[in-house]
Amino acid sequence: MENSLFSKPRDLFLDVVNAKDYVQIDSVSHMYQSLKNSVQKPLKMILLFGKPGTGKSMLLHKLHHDLSKHQKVLMFDIPIVDEDDFLRVLAQRIFGHSPREVMTLTRFLEIAEAVSYPEVPIVLLDEAQLYSSSLMEKIRLISDARAIKFVITLHKTDKEDVIAKEHFQTRIWESIELQNATAEELKVYIQKKLLKANCFDVANMFNDKNMKLITALTKGNYRETNKLLFSLFTLYCWYEENHSALIKYNALKSKWIEMAAIHTGLIRA
Amino acid sequence: MLDIHKLERRWFKYKVKSYAPYIIGLFVFFLVLIVITPKMKDSDKTEQIVSSENQKSSDAKMANKESSNILEPSMEFLQSFQTSTPLTVTPAAIIPKSVQSPRESIPVPKVLNVPDSSTLKIPASSPSLSSDKTISLNRNDSKLDIDSIERRFKETSNSNLGLFIARYHYDHGNYSDAYNFALKTNSINNKIDESWIIFSKSLVKLGRVEQAKKTLQLYISESNSDAARSLLESIEQGTFK
Ligand SMILES: Nc1ncnc2c1ncn2[C@@H]1O[C@H](COP(=O)(O)OP(=O)(O)OP(=O)(O)O)[C@@H](O)[C@H]1O
Ligand SMILES: [Mg+2]
Repeated sequence: MENSLFSKPRDLFLDVVNAKDYVQIDSVSHMYQSLKNSVQKPLKMILLFGKPGTGKSMLLHKLHHDLSKHQKVLMFDIPIVDEDDFLRVLAQRIFGHSPREVMTLTRFLEIAEAVSYPEVPIVLLDEAQLYSSSLMEKIRLISDARAIKFVITLHKTDKEDVIAKEHFQTRIWESIELQNATAEELKVYIQKKLLKANCFDVANMFNDKNMKLITALTKGNYRETNKLLFSLFTLYCWYEENHSALIKYNALKSKWIEMAAIHTGLIRA
Repeated sequence: MLDIHKLERRWFKYKVKSYAPYIIGLFVFFLVLIVITPKMKDSDKTEQIVSSENQKSSDAKMANKESSNILEPSMEFLQSFQTSTPLTVTPAAIIPKSVQSPRESIPVPKVLNVPDSSTLKIPASSPSLSSDKTISLNRNDSKLDIDSIERRFKETSNSNLGLFIARYHYDHGNYSDAYNFALKTNSINNKIDESWIIFSKSLVKLGRVEQAKKTLQLYISESNSDAARSLLESIEQGTFK
């Protein structure tokens, strides 16, 4: 089963976030560019928001990967919710200072001031909804003091998204909203991912009708698409081993796409 | 693993369900035709009485003709269920062109029953968000909404979240939960130092010191982790409690 034509494509669609797997999709690249520009501007904090699975963490990882070549950047995948710990880790990892005393904000800002970098160091915070509001307030003060520039992502569901949007449209925030892909973008996403891994034969199997169905099922959500394709290729692996005559190599079977959708819960059946 | 046969059965049911409105629609249309056709003939009573026998046969012919018009295409797609060839008919194409008039009256089913991703929501307990003047991101300052994070972890299998939860439980003294989540996290990604460390520390806290040592030794041999080594030392010297 592991030598199957479909096992490699299957593993491509595991839902993991890795900057190396980033694919360029027009609208996302555009956003990425403006994100990179914003990062160089002083003062404002940057907020990435959008529905689950729209690629916020991915964009943040990509930013981390690219910026760290030239600049001091630190990424927190997992929030450190304890305020004292948070400031300590920042002091140590960014300013190379490990204080023994209790870490207050004032002390932290002193430490920051003593070190000067050619550019303001950048800290990327994923899953920022997990930080307390008092810690967020400290983060804002640190940003105001120009000690650190923050980029944060917010995992929000639909309703909360609206609240977040209003909340962050203040002067101190620059906010970027990520959205689900259009049919065209989703096609680019899938094709590029497959071609990058040299899965040419499999990439050629996606025709327009297949893409229409996939987009309708996943609503263009990247995570849902990953899940769907992962189980679709799992199906293909199975059929290849057990009924290889059923496989057609010029198109994907709608039936199997739907079966995969049933398996992942996109279709309730 | 996937149970393909079960999946195929579920798919078949789904297909039947999604075509049911069409089939019912056609059936209703056919019924209406049967009811209406004799009524139209009723208005021409004299003729009908005179040549009743003739008429009957031609009626039957009419019905036959129409029925073949309507049913033929639907049979086609029914057949395709039985063969294992792929169904390439998109639902919109199912209604044959010959049945144009009743098309509007046939209820068009929603073919794709896509659950909204937003239904996987974090319970709405965010009163702090709307009214606060400061930038408040969190619904609950003192106690994180750990349940919602756990739900999300289940949904995304994101090892970062798993570690976060394990850490949270460990800090709150729920060592068996910490153990569980560290275990899950390790099974998703077995290269996270901290997750192994929380796992082992929880074991010690739960009184299973030997197992903790074994786990750490195993992990050290795989990863050469310094943090794991120093934890093992402190467990062995009894300094970790
Ligand atoms: N530009 C991209 N290139 C490659 N893969 C992408 C891209 N955007 C999204 N993905 C894929 O989509 C998946 C989901 O994206 P991601 O985890 O970034 O979503 P998210 O917005 O952070 O969701 P959540 O709100 O749940 O944290 C990722 O695992 C990744 O595989
Ligand atoms: Mg994310």
